[in-house]
Amino acid sequence: MTVTKDHIGGLVFLCFSVVYGYYANQITLFPGDEYEPFHAKYLPLSLAILGILFSVCQLVTASKSSKDRLSLTGYDFVLVAKLLVLMVLFAISLEWLGFMVSTALFLSGGYWLLGERRPKILFLASVPFAVGFWFVLTQLLEIYLAPGRFFMTFIGS
Amino acid sequence: MFDGMMSGLTTAVMPFNLMMVIIGCFAGTFIGMLPGLGPISAIALMIPITYGLDPSSGIILMAGVYYGAIFGGSTSSILINAPGCASTVVTAFDGYPLAQKKQAGKALALAAYSSFTGGTIGALVLLFAAPALAKVSLSFQSSDYFALMVLGLTAVAAFSGKGQVLKALMMTVFGLMIATVGIDVMSGIPRYTFDNVNLIDGISFLLLAMATFALTEVVMTVLRGEHKQKEPQMDMDSLGSMKLSKEEVKHVAPTIGRSSFFGFLVGVLPGAGATIASFLSYGMERNLASKDEKAKFGKGALRGLAAPESANNAASTGSFVPLLTLGIPGSGTTAIMLGALIAYGIQPGPRLFVDHPDVFWSVIISMYFGNIVLLILNLPLIPYISRLLVIPRPILIPLILFFSITGVYLVSFNTFDIQMMVIITVIATFLKLLNFPMAPMLLGFILGDILEKNLSRSLTLSDGSFAFLWERPLTLTIMIFAVLALMLPMFTMLKEKRQQAKAACATEEPQDDLDVSK
Repeated sequence: MTVTKDHIGGLVFLCFSVVYGYYANQITLFPGDEYEPFHAKYLPLSLAILGILFSVCQLVTASKSSKDRLSLTGYDFVLVAKLLVLMVLFAISLEWLGFMVSTALFLSGGYWLLGERRPKILFLASVPFAVGFWFVLTQLLEIYLAPGRFFMTFIGS
Repeated sequence: MFDGMMSGLTTAVMPFNLMMVIIGCFAGTFIGMLPGLGPISAIALMIPITYGLDPSSGIILMAGVYYGAIFGGSTSSILINAPGCASTVVTAFDGYPLAQKKQAGKALALAAYSSFTGGTIGALVLLFAAPALAKVSLSFQSSDYFALMVLGLTAVAAFSGKGQVLKALMMTVFGLMIATVGIDVMSGIPRYTFDNVNLIDGISFLLLAMATFALTEVVMTVLRGEHKQKEPQMDMDSLGSMKLSKEEVKHVAPTIGRSSFFGFLVGVLPGAGATIASFLSYGMERNLASKDEKAKFGKGALRGLAAPESANNAASTGSFVPLLTLGIPGSGTTAIMLGALIAYGIQPGPRLFVDHPDVFWSVIISMYFGNIVLLILNLPLIPYISRLLVIPRPILIPLILFFSITGVYLVSFNTFDIQMMVIITVIATFLKLLNFPMAPMLLGFILGDILEKNLSRSLTLSDGSFAFLWERPLTLTIMIFAVLALMLPMFTMLKEKRQQAKAACATEEPQDDLDVSK
C-alpha cells in the first residue's frame, strides 16, 4: 500500500481530534451546567466528532497515487531548525539583553545562517538597523522597552 | 445613506488617511512583489502598525496594502515570471511573454489600467450593493447568523482546489478548535489552557496570522533552498514604452468591462476570492476569443493579461461585501481584516453600517483612492520600486522574520508569544508540506467565537432543539446553501474518483488476464 500525504494528514488529524476530544471531556463544568442546552463542553465535543469524521473520510478517500507520496528530499531542514532556534534564542535574549542588543544579534545571526559572511554587511545591516528601530520605537512612538535583566542586574539601568 | 457617504468621504480625505492609503499602496506593492508573500502576509505584517491608529485609518491602510500587494504580485509576475500571490499566477501566463518580447512597460501599464478599471467598477458596485445588503441583514437573528457562519465556513471548502475539499474542511475544524483555547467567554470556564496563564486569553489572532502566513512562507522559502537563488536580473532599460495605442485600448476595453463585473460577482461569493476570479475570467475570455485570438493566449495576448488583472481587483473589492455587511470574510485576506476589526472593538456585520458609518464608508471610498494611487503614483515608480526585488535574500529573510516576531511582541510584550509562534510555524510548515491550505484555518479561528455565541443563543432560545435551523425560512435557505456548498464538491470528488477507478480497471484488465493465465 502506498502511504501518501493524504494518509499522513488524515491520520495525524484523526489522532489530534481524538486527543482534543479527550481533553474536551476533561473540561470542568459548573454544577448543573450539564443540563443546560449549551455549555462549555458543547462546541469542543462537537468539533472533536467532526474532526474524527472528516479525518476518517480523508483516510478512506485518500489518493493512492505514488505522485502524492511525501518526499522530504531536497529540503534544508537543518537550516530551518537553526533559524527556529535563533528565534527562540531571540525571545530569551529579549528578556535578558533588551531589545536593541537582541535585535542586532538576531539579525546578524540570521544573515550569518543564510550564508552572508562579509563582516561589514553583517555589521551594517544589523547594528544601525537595530539602533534606528529602537530609536523610532522608544523616542518617536514613546513605547517603553525594558532594558533587559542583565543590564538591570549588573549595570543598574 | 448620503450623510454616511459624506462622513466617509470626510474621513477618507483627511490628510493622514490619504497618507495611509499611499503608504499602504507602496508597502503592499513592495511586499506583494516578493515571491511567496501575498496580500495575506502583507496585511499580517501591517497589523501591528495599525494597532496604534484609529479604526478608520487602520482599515484604510490595510485596504491600501491589499490593493498594493495584488498590484505588486502582478509586477513580479510580468517582470520575472514569479507571481507574488496566487491571484496573479494567471497574470504571468501572458504578462511574462510580453516582457520577453521587450514589451514589459506595455504589460505593466495594461495591468495597472485593468486593475484600476476593475477596482473602480468594483468600488462603484460596492457603493450601492453593500448598504442595500446591510439593510436587509439588519433583520437577521442569531439563528441566521449561525447559518451564515456555517455557510461561510463550508463555502471555503466548496471553492478549494481539486482534491482539497476534505483538507479545507479539516483545516476549518482545526481553526475552530484553536479558537476554543482560553477562557470560555460565556461561562468563564478555562478550556485547553493546561494551567498555563499565558493561554488564559487564548491564542492571539495576530500571532496565528503571522505564524501561519508570514513566517511559514519564509520558512518554506528557506526549506526549498530558494534563498540561495540569485536575485532576479532585470533590465530596466528594456521595459519599453508604457503607452497603449488607441486600437489596443479598443481591443481590451470590452474584456476589462466583462471581467470587472464577473470578478466582482465571484468576489462576493464567500470563500471564492481573487484567485478563482482571475482563473475563471481568463478561461471565460479564452472561450470568447476567436480561433486566431485563442492561439495567442499564453504567448502575450493583451486580452489574456487584461482579463485576470481586472477580475482579481474587482473580486478583491467584491470580497468586502460579505465582510462589511454580514461579518463573513469572503477570502483569507478579508478574514485577516475581520480579525483586525474585531481587535479594534468593531464587529463587522449589518450593525457596522449603522454604528460605525465612518468606518464603513471611509473603507469603501478609500478603496477608490487606493486605485487612483496605484495608477498615478505606483505605475510611474514601478521601475524604481522593482529594484527592491534585488535585495539579497540572506538579508531580506531575517528582516521579514524580525518584523513578524516584533509585530507580535510589541502588542503583548510577552516572549511566550514568540515561542508560541515558533511552535505554530513548525505545525503550519508540516501541514503545508502535506498540502493543507492555511486560509480555512484562519477563517475557522476568526469565526469560531461568533459561531459559538450564536449557536449558544439559538440553542438556548429553542430550549436545546435544533429546530431553529429550519423554523425560520431565512435560516433554512442559508442552511440549504451551506449544505449544497458542502455536498457539491463532495459529489464532484466522488464522481471523479469513480471515473478514475473505471479508467484504472480498464487499463488493468489485460494485466489481470495475464496473471490468470500464469
